[in-house]
Amino acid sequence: MKLIIDGKAFNAYPGDSILDVARREGIAIPTLCYHEAFGGQGSCRLCMVEVTAGGRSRLVASCTYPVSEGIEVKTSTPAVEKIRRNIIMVLYKRASGSVLMQKLYREYGCSENSLGEKQEERCIVCRLCVLACEKMGTSAISTVMRGIDKRVGTPYDQAATACIGCAACAHICPTGAIEVLDSGNIRTIWNKNFNLINCERCGQPFATREEIDYVSRRSGIEDAELCFCEECRRKKLVGKMQGFSPC
Amino acid sequence: MSEQECEENIEGFRRIIYGFPGEKRYIIAIMHELSRCYRYLPRAALELTAEYVGVPFSQVYSMATFYRAFSLQPRGRVNFKVCDGTTCHIKGSNILLDEIYKNLGIGPGETTADREFSLETVNCIGACAIAPALLVNERVYPRVNAAALKEIIKEYRGGGDNDHHE
Amino acid sequence: MTTMNKSLIHLLLVCCGTGCVANGAREVYQALKDNLTSDDKAVLAATTSARATGCHGLCAQGPFVRILPEDITYCRVKAADIPEIVEKTLKQGEVVKRLLFRDRQKKALVQGQNDIPFYRRQTRVALRNVGLIDPSSLQDYLERGGYRALEKSLLDMRPEQVIEEIIKSGLRGRGGGGFPAGLKWKACAATPAQPRYIICNGDEGDPGAFMDESIMEGDPHSVLEGMIIAAYAVGASTGFIYVRDEYAQSVASLQKAIEEAENHGFLGENILGSGLDFDIEIVRGGGAFVCGEETALIASIEGHVGEPWDKYVFPSEKGLWGQPTIINNVETWANIPVIMERGASWFTSLGTEGSKGTKVFSLVGKVANTGLVEVPMGTTLREIIFDIGGGVPQGRKFKAVQTGGPSGGCIPAELLDLKLDFDSLSQAGSMMGSGGLIVMDDRTCMVEVARYYLSFLAGESCGKCVPCREGIKCLLEILTRICHGQGEIEDLELMEDIAETMQQASLCALGRTASNPVLSTLRYFREEYLEHIEGQRCPAGICRELSEFWIDPAICTGCGLCLPRCPVEGIKGEKKQAHRIESDKCIRCGECIDSCSFQAIKVK
Repeated sequence: MKLIIDGKAFNAYPGDSILDVARREGIAIPTLCYHEAFGGQGSCRLCMVEVTAGGRSRLVASCTYPVSEGIEVKTSTPAVEKIRRNIIMVLYKRASGSVLMQKLYREYGCSENSLGEKQEERCIVCRLCVLACEKMGTSAISTVMRGIDKRVGTPYDQAATACIGCAACAHICPTGAIEVLDSGNIRTIWNKNFNLINCERCGQPFATREEIDYVSRRSGIEDAELCFCEECRRKKLVGKMQGFSPC
Repeated sequence: MSEQECEENIEGFRRIIYGFPGEKRYIIAIMHELSRCYRYLPRAALELTAEYVGVPFSQVYSMATFYRAFSLQPRGRVNFKVCDGTTCHIKGSNILLDEIYKNLGIGPGETTADREFSLETVNCIGACAIAPALLVNERVYPRVNAAALKEIIKEYRGGGDNDHHE
Repeated sequence: MTTMNKSLIHLLLVCCGTGCVANGAREVYQALKDNLTSDDKAVLAATTSARATGCHGLCAQGPFVRILPEDITYCRVKAADIPEIVEKTLKQGEVVKRLLFRDRQKKALVQGQNDIPFYRRQTRVALRNVGLIDPSSLQDYLERGGYRALEKSLLDMRPEQVIEEIIKSGLRGRGGGGFPAGLKWKACAATPAQPRYIICNGDEGDPGAFMDESIMEGDPHSVLEGMIIAAYAVGASTGFIYVRDEYAQSVASLQKAIEEAENHGFLGENILGSGLDFDIEIVRGGGAFVCGEETALIASIEGHVGEPWDKYVFPSEKGLWGQPTIINNVETWANIPVIMERGASWFTSLGTEGSKGTKVFSLVGKVANTGLVEVPMGTTLREIIFDIGGGVPQGRKFKAVQTGGPSGGCIPAELLDLKLDFDSLSQAGSMMGSGGLIVMDDRTCMVEVARYYLSFLAGESCGKCVPCREGIKCLLEILTRICHGQGEIEDLELMEDIAETMQQASLCALGRTASNPVLSTLRYFREEYLEHIEGQRCPAGICRELSEFWIDPAICTGCGLCLPRCPVEGIKGEKKQAHRIESDKCIRCGECIDSCSFQAIKVK
């Protein structure tokens, strides 16, 4: 399939979204709720672009719009830029505590406006954390409530039985909104405390007992194999490979 | 089902939940039935629902907080729903809310300490032609004003449940 | 007129729609049955039949008892009136005058339903049976010609001919978007995947709208028949009716109808011997306005939170569980059997160029005759509000009419001659929506109305996409500020700016139209915004911080009606002498204004 993005022709596969093609070809389209591991959610709407298909132009979310033969995409028009600026403006009002949002706010030139009191939150409800937790197979967190009160949380805002303290949610969060507190051998996340296991090689605390048990159970790899931090595991692997190396 | 049959324990929950097919698409139906029996969604019942239909607990909780028909807090024996649809709103639904607060000391989403009365607002019950409307349990009261409301509260106080009405 | 069994002399139709039930219609119906059976010679019981029907439409005058064949319509009937009706009308053939409708303009009593101005200008297509049949009786529906269209479609036509007929009829979806129904069907039939599903959207959520409720309650078989015809046309085997949580009576009525239809071979296997297998299941909603949005409704049926997804691929190709799915709303389904029976050309003879047929409106708010109205597309607002609705009561002035629910807009008096159809309404910055018409008078503050809708949407948006969630939040904050007298002139432009992005970038129709209440009031009532901001005054006397009331001594008659209505004893004055308001006591609730028959109480 062929399509045109910003005047240049590109190839696409059936099932591709516009954003998929753009990312592959190195064309920049800004996003907040997109991660290649999960595909498009269509929720932040920062990736809006202008599409002309069948002689008709419209504004669409590039992360969910399926490519079809011959469409023409413009990734930066005055209408698109205005949408992006306004999205940043209203999001900043919610999450002005986030460094990323502060940066975007400046970049998009959202002039000081009378939007009133700013909230010092950081969460932008992009839900990447929820998707990451789901992908882990734990689903300890979800969105709760709806409308302007929508947020991310654990059931009843209490320590969730399902949480294994892996902190995948915090790692994927673009605005640093999820607090992980590692203090000595204790990790606190989502109101729950976990004991951290020390790496067998370097002695640094690196993962929770629950996480290692969970991974072991799911993958069938024995606990002992998992007791190294990421860096030491890599070193170990490199060591092994060197051992096998013919040179 | 009478109140006795709806024991608020795991046996009671099982009786309700296992009455539905164990599929995701029956979650809302299960929640409706739980609400009817207990006037709210008990946590243990939601946990059992999640396990039964094979969905993470967090997703069931997410739904319970998303849909307005459900409450995670026990509602009163007598549940007032003040319609705050557009018509009722411009015809003075806020006066009803003030009056209920004056008489019972509860605002929307609250229940009296004795669990007798609770109050919520609903968006439109489709009774616009007789606005402002008040729903008490399942009964619709038309064109309610402050004076009528006092009478209605009196009617339900002390065990009156008006079951003979619709 | 409904058909009557030959041995019957009288047929009594008791309106048991939600409005009338709230006013005691069930008790009226019970009293009637008791009176008929307690007749000593048992003559009445044998010759008279009483029917609990769906909504008669003119809810403001209910409960109704309509007596056929004479067509005597009694209004505001109480259970205590029944013995007199039985004795005088049924036994002696006399009319009970005090229960007749009073035509205020002509100062006359009106006997027949069709002579009541409210009904005279209506054309009942979708509501053809509502109020005439007992919704729990399949027999009643069959007597009115029910399931004839199904027979014709299944036995005499090929599926593609059925689709062609619906396309030719020009029927557009009555739920809000106005998408041509036939094209949806065609797209669905053309998608190879199986199974396919039929969904009836009964999640009528617009505040101020109850037309779908009245059809589901009052004529459930018409909805089923429409769905079964579609199932045949596109080759679907399962249907779902998603009913709004609050509509308990609709669920009961539909459930009964489904059972009856199954028992009589209209649902189930090999329907009418045509080889079609089709079942319908009722799904109760969980209480979420956003589930009126097709994709959110589908998510809800599947057992998820009701969040919509981008409809770049339509549900007709990829809908419920990823399969081809047709969703139409209740009123659309109810239109299908009539179109199939009477033909597309009959249907296109009604309505306007781009909008064929009729539309049911719920006419509510500050209007004399509140209720359900069905008129041909293209009827003007003036005809509906003044000729049918009887105008604004209490001698107040018409200010605006809100159409299309929270997604619609407020239309001012200058546009009263607007011919209502899908296209004219969107040009005026509003929309058809499901057909709510909420009349507002000069005691309605347009800024507060916009604020009300935004606060409604703040709780009803699903909260998934940023423009809708955060945009609504910003607009609501600004509007609240203006209502409290803290608005700034720049706010207006800022709201328009945010509103435009919400329209262009939101994921679903709820978000894309959420700013309509703000934009339409800014377009037609900008002056009122300026009054709030620059004049620090709410001309309607609704925003408390910006209102001050006074009594015009030249008008006040000192009748004293307002005195007891004031909750703070802030009105002083001797009987028959002009009263005055003590402004330090006044809490600006407006109770006195609404109680004054002389409009002597003014807003400063």
